[in-house]
Amino acid sequence: MNFLEARDLCTNFGRIRALDHVSLGLRRHEILAIVGESGSGKTTLLNTLAGRLTPDSGDVLFDRGAGLAPISELGELGLRQLQRAQWGFIQQDPRQALRLDITAGGNIGERLMAAGNRNYGDIRAEAARWLAAVEIDPARLDDLPKFFSGGMLQRLQIAATLVTGPELVFMDEPTGGLDVSVQARILDLIRGLVRKLGLAVVLVTHDIGVARLLADRLIVMRHGRIVETGLTDQVLDDPHHEYTQLLVSSVLPA
Amino acid sequence: MKGYNFAYLDEQTKRMIRRAVLKAVAIPGHQIPFASREMPLPYGWGTGGIQVTASIIGPDDVLKVIDQGADDTTNAVSIRGFFARTAGVATTTHTSEASVIQTRHRIPEVPLTEDQVIVYQVPMPEPLYRLEPSRAATKRRHALAEYGEMHVKLYEDITRFGRVAVAYDHPVMVNGRYLMSPSPIPAFDNPKLDHMPALQLFGAGREKRIYAVPPYTAVRSLDFEDHPFHPGRADGVCALCGAADTYLDEILVSDQGDKMFACSDSDFCEQNREALR
Repeated sequence: MNFLEARDLCTNFGRIRALDHVSLGLRRHEILAIVGESGSGKTTLLNTLAGRLTPDSGDVLFDRGAGLAPISELGELGLRQLQRAQWGFIQQDPRQALRLDITAGGNIGERLMAAGNRNYGDIRAEAARWLAAVEIDPARLDDLPKFFSGGMLQRLQIAATLVTGPELVFMDEPTGGLDVSVQARILDLIRGLVRKLGLAVVLVTHDIGVARLLADRLIVMRHGRIVETGLTDQVLDDPHHEYTQLLVSSVLPA
Repeated sequence: MKGYNFAYLDEQTKRMIRRAVLKAVAIPGHQIPFASREMPLPYGWGTGGIQVTASIIGPDDVLKVIDQGADDTTNAVSIRGFFARTAGVATTTHTSEASVIQTRHRIPEVPLTEDQVIVYQVPMPEPLYRLEPSRAATKRRHALAEYGEMHVKLYEDITRFGRVAVAYDHPVMVNGRYLMSPSPIPAFDNPKLDHMPALQLFGAGREKRIYAVPPYTAVRSLDFEDHPFHPGRADGVCALCGAADTYLDEILVSDQGDKMFACSDSDFCEQNREALR
């Protein structure tokens, strides 16, 4: 049973077909990776699924407990409520998602306060708990993120997103722009949290290694079209489409 | 006054402003745009308040104008004089005798009644403007009632300073729906906004916005359950009348730095002193 579905999405940017009749489904607790080269339409697809971009045609459907329904029927208010409570979005650059002149605690607490929490002590305790969960020293609760390293900022963004207990999280290259050792630790953290919390994830990455480590299922995109889909190991160990074969063979041996 | 319409503004302009006022009363706390006119005083001196007053005042009204609580400061004296000349209305300094009160930065100490209207001069009507510079974005926040950011600001204040660090213009929720700037009144005056029997009108001339709180409307100052709103007040008594429950001004009285506290509401202080005599 899918709880997120895309049906026949098409989006054009001028003469460029960013999404060309894309359909897919996602189940609860499932991790789906979208891979492809730059310009293949994977980020456009992610933004469309997350309701940040309206497709030219086609529908995104989500099950809020009463069966699949198009998110376009929710209206702006309904969509915003969905995005800030049941969904989460983790951006490649945490600086765009966080407020750098607000303390780490304030950043984590923002989603709680937007959801209506009005107890300072509770918000603080919850923020400290989440800092620990993403392996940042809770003593840094009152520090400003502008003094944090890149890896810590990404951890903070993860905490600030997961604090409201979303059931579906969209991730756009969550480890892009980080050095390799930091990348490995963030991936490890994401993998642990996702399994522990039973999240469903749609992950965009150009890094086959990230997809192999995290994803249950894989979608390969090229020129706005899905060229191959299947279980991660299956696709990566036995790629059928020539583009997937090229993608897999381009990975440097470890 | 010859050559001028009653209360300076032409009748078409007054009608336009009254329409905005009616709309504002119908949606408590919501900012209504209006075509603010050039007035014969600079922006920041009460061009919004003066236009609202000019639109609602009638020949039988009695006008009181206060600036920071006082009837005898430049701004108060000149606006009072302006309406005495252009509308020929009676003016007063006594809060209980006035039917229209135009104010800058204070609410009188004497509770207002159903027969009175209070007009606030507002420099910045948008409570979110320090958090979000785009007016288009703040309008969207109001439409969706997304006020989490304002609480983030209060959270930061408590975290850094141990308390909410705004002593004036403390944001309020009106009728459980709209976040509103009460204009730069001290937090001390915020509780008076709640369920006030008088009609409250807010005019921002430079920003071209009018908003209102109808009589007996719920106005709640933003706070946290475990850090309740605290109306601040200097710890002292008025050196002139001895009042211990009024909002106080701190006044330097010598070059050696000697200070005294006095009621900011000059009319209230005077009445108190008369009663003692």
